[in-house]
Amino acid sequence: MSAPLLRVNQLQTHFQSHRGLTKAVDNVSFTINQQETVAIVGESGSGKSVTSLSLMQLIPQPPGIIAGGEAIFQSRHFGEVDLLKLSSKQLQKIRGNEISMIFQEPMSSLNPVYTCGSQVAEVLIWHQKLSKAEAKERTLALFEQVKLPRPEKIFRAYPHEISGGQKQRVMIAMAMACGPSILIADEPTTALDVTVQAHILDLLNDLRVRSNTSILFITHDLGVVAEIADKIIVMYRGRIVEQGSVWDIFSNPQHPYTKALLACRPKLSMGIKYLPTVSDFMEVDSSGYIIPKVVSVSKEESGSQLDSAYINNQDKPLLLVNNLKVHFPVRKGIFARSTEYIKAVDGVSFEVYPNETIGLVGESGCGKTTLGRALLRLVQPTAGSIYFNNINIAGLSTEALRKSRKNFQMVFQDPYASLNPMQTIGEAIMEPMQVHQVLKTEKERRDKVYQLLDTVNLLPEHFHRYPHEFSGGQRQRISIARALALEPKCIICDESVSALDVSVQAQVLNLLNKLKAEFGITYIFITHDLAVARFMADRIFVMNAGKIVESGPAHEVYTNPQNAYTRTLLAAIPKGELENIKEAQARREALMIQYSA
Amino acid sequence: MKIIGFLLNRLGHGVLIMLGVVVAIFFLFNVLPGDPVALLAGQRSDLATREAISTELGLDKPLPEQLLFYLNDISPISVHAAAAANQEKYEYTPLLSFGQNVLVLKTPYLRRSFQSNKKVTAILLDHLTGTLWLAGAAMLLATVLGISFGIIAALKPHSWLDHLLISTSVLGISVPSFVAAILIAITFGFYWSHVTGLSLTGQLYEIDAFTGKHLVLRNLILPAFALGIRPLAVITQLTRSSMIEVLSQDYMRTARAKGLPSYRVVVGHGLKNALNPVITAVSGWLASLMAGAFFIEYIFNWKGIGAVTIHAVENLDFPVVMGATLFIAFLFVLINILVDVLYALIDPRVKL
Repeated sequence: MSAPLLRVNQLQTHFQSHRGLTKAVDNVSFTINQQETVAIVGESGSGKSVTSLSLMQLIPQPPGIIAGGEAIFQSRHFGEVDLLKLSSKQLQKIRGNEISMIFQEPMSSLNPVYTCGSQVAEVLIWHQKLSKAEAKERTLALFEQVKLPRPEKIFRAYPHEISGGQKQRVMIAMAMACGPSILIADEPTTALDVTVQAHILDLLNDLRVRSNTSILFITHDLGVVAEIADKIIVMYRGRIVEQGSVWDIFSNPQHPYTKALLACRPKLSMGIKYLPTVSDFMEVDSSGYIIPKVVSVSKEESGSQLDSAYINNQDKPLLLVNNLKVHFPVRKGIFARSTEYIKAVDGVSFEVYPNETIGLVGESGCGKTTLGRALLRLVQPTAGSIYFNNINIAGLSTEALRKSRKNFQMVFQDPYASLNPMQTIGEAIMEPMQVHQVLKTEKERRDKVYQLLDTVNLLPEHFHRYPHEFSGGQRQRISIARALALEPKCIICDESVSALDVSVQAQVLNLLNKLKAEFGITYIFITHDLAVARFMADRIFVMNAGKIVESGPAHEVYTNPQNAYTRTLLAAIPKGELENIKEAQARREALMIQYSA
Repeated sequence: MKIIGFLLNRLGHGVLIMLGVVVAIFFLFNVLPGDPVALLAGQRSDLATREAISTELGLDKPLPEQLLFYLNDISPISVHAAAAANQEKYEYTPLLSFGQNVLVLKTPYLRRSFQSNKKVTAILLDHLTGTLWLAGAAMLLATVLGISFGIIAALKPHSWLDHLLISTSVLGISVPSFVAAILIAITFGFYWSHVTGLSLTGQLYEIDAFTGKHLVLRNLILPAFALGIRPLAVITQLTRSSMIEVLSQDYMRTARAKGLPSYRVVVGHGLKNALNPVITAVSGWLASLMAGAFFIEYIFNWKGIGAVTIHAVENLDFPVVMGATLFIAFLFVLINILVDVLYALIDPRVKL
């Protein structure tokens, strides 16, 4: 084979801040060959995005500095060049033309004030000097290629008028416009629903072969990697800890961190009680050296199967929901009369028994979050009844409702937004107790907070700290401690772990399970991640378009789904098993043969 | 089509707001001390003259009736008694006649000045040109320079240039406009007038003995600059903060990743997104500058709405003050409607 398309050698990117120098990327070397998909895997802060942005010189400078290294790229325009030493004029010729990028957030990555079409056409007009009419024609062809429905309409549409998946397709069309040699895809499917993700991954595989493009794929999701990558680079704290072919890494991971990453993600295939975390596999000492641990206890535990779902129908249900509806009016016309309704929750009935975990799954917009909020009456139900402990929450007065919330708490999705930044975490945890007059004196409440901090594995000295001093996982544990302060019977977890890294997610999930066993809490676990629901839940409710389309014990829903929608959903999840890698490789080879013929 | 419906809707709101303003002003000026009859009658203080004036102005009628008359005078469509005395008040187009009365279409009648007995509408219109030029020039200066300075500061935040621009703009905001105006006037119009060639006071139009009336834009420079300083400072700061936020957005990274040159990234993709808060400020300032920059006009002896209003206040010339106030309110309503339309044109996410 000829020289690699891109050879990155000893790349170093540092960030200078008032706290000192951070080595975000530390001596990173890898190569990308023609038509190869290389995946960089790592958790947040591992330096995977910074690596890709450094190659395009897109890191903000200052505070960022590319401190060293080279990135030798075989350019169509300039021949062999070092990307890190290009002038800004030369870079403009490379960016969007020979190396293009798509980003994680399709919602915010498109400019809201221009039409989708003009944003794609702009690239063609700029790089290929096409006229407006020619650019439009090419753009429409590209939209066709990325399988956007009704390209003419999308061309004229503004980003906020189309769905997230469609936006990502527009981004891909934009990136593919000039037939780049390398496409850098930075978490391109993370913000999308699984079914949409499956389509986007197919599309990327297809485009790669068709347009002879290499892909640098950045993700935290090993399941996705198994579907798309030829080669994997595992990054941890700015360094590459392991790289190799996708098969080798999955079948025989060498580094403890890789092992941990593979082990700590919940899998659909088996029900286990305890998720291993990174700290079960390794320790990091003060100077940043990684010390592997001998894996012993956790392995045994992780192998044990979960007891078959515990539902005792003799128990009285803790929560009984009957024909619950939440409709939002769509206001139109001069007099703002509501003529249409969005039926977010449309006639949902179910019961929840004490000490069970319900997994409420569905894609974005299916109404699961609205249902969760309606149960607590954070949004007003349009119709139906919610009996909690034999009291109809839907019919309570404001004061009675406030009192009833003592038994019914919620942990929200975004750990960064759900804690008041002006309140110390001690105050945050104590506040619900003060409101509901739990315990008699301030001192008792304070002691209770220390106890709660200990329960969620935080330290007593954290009492007087403010939320910004904590990481995402720690904040979510604080939120849990706050929910626990009132000793509720039931906690609704609304996407409580979806903003967290897999290893942190594993810690929080383990904690929730431990608390359930200790305090006998009932959970309603709202999530888009079916694997997480599988791990947590005794029973699963699948929601689609405001209705529960399937419900049943977790293992039954997964092994024998009855509803067509559930089956689509399950099929779309990247499983990340060895046989999936084999299948994906076979598919890619078939594609290559198809296009070369 | 949508935009027409929106305009009609907002104009309807505007009419209601104007109605409220009229009522408020009417009662406010009736509470104020001072007797218009005495002012009008002047030295001739015999009772008969006073009563005649009182009847003519309708001051002998109860207050609610007076309000109705006032509203009737101001409304563009009004009921008009076909008496000869009324026909002198204003020109109108009859629409419908019933009995003694006619329904007429007219320009709003703001009554006549106590002082000069000229129509208030005529007085205001006469001074409007000066104000429009002054406010327009000041806002043009403030907007163009303010947005440019804001962008320059935002591109390199915390650089010396940014600090310089921001501290200067803080100064511009803090100094009261009359102080700035006096300083500017004596510095550039007096001490350095041999260098600048500008004079301390001057009008937009000068009358030359041979060539007649002609436009002198040179006289506009100092007052426009003095008037524009505060909006310039505010717009600089707003553009800067808005731009800094926009520059950190994901779509700006996308624009750079497309390979666009930096001026197209900043101006093409950034500015349009950063403009909305700036437009709010610009429109607010424009409306209040239109309303007459009282101090500036006073100091530079500029013939404008502000100067007229101050003069009228000094002389308790109620019709002129009321007229000016109504006119200002009308401008605010109009500019706000325009701004709402402008928002929608710039940002497609804004629904009319």
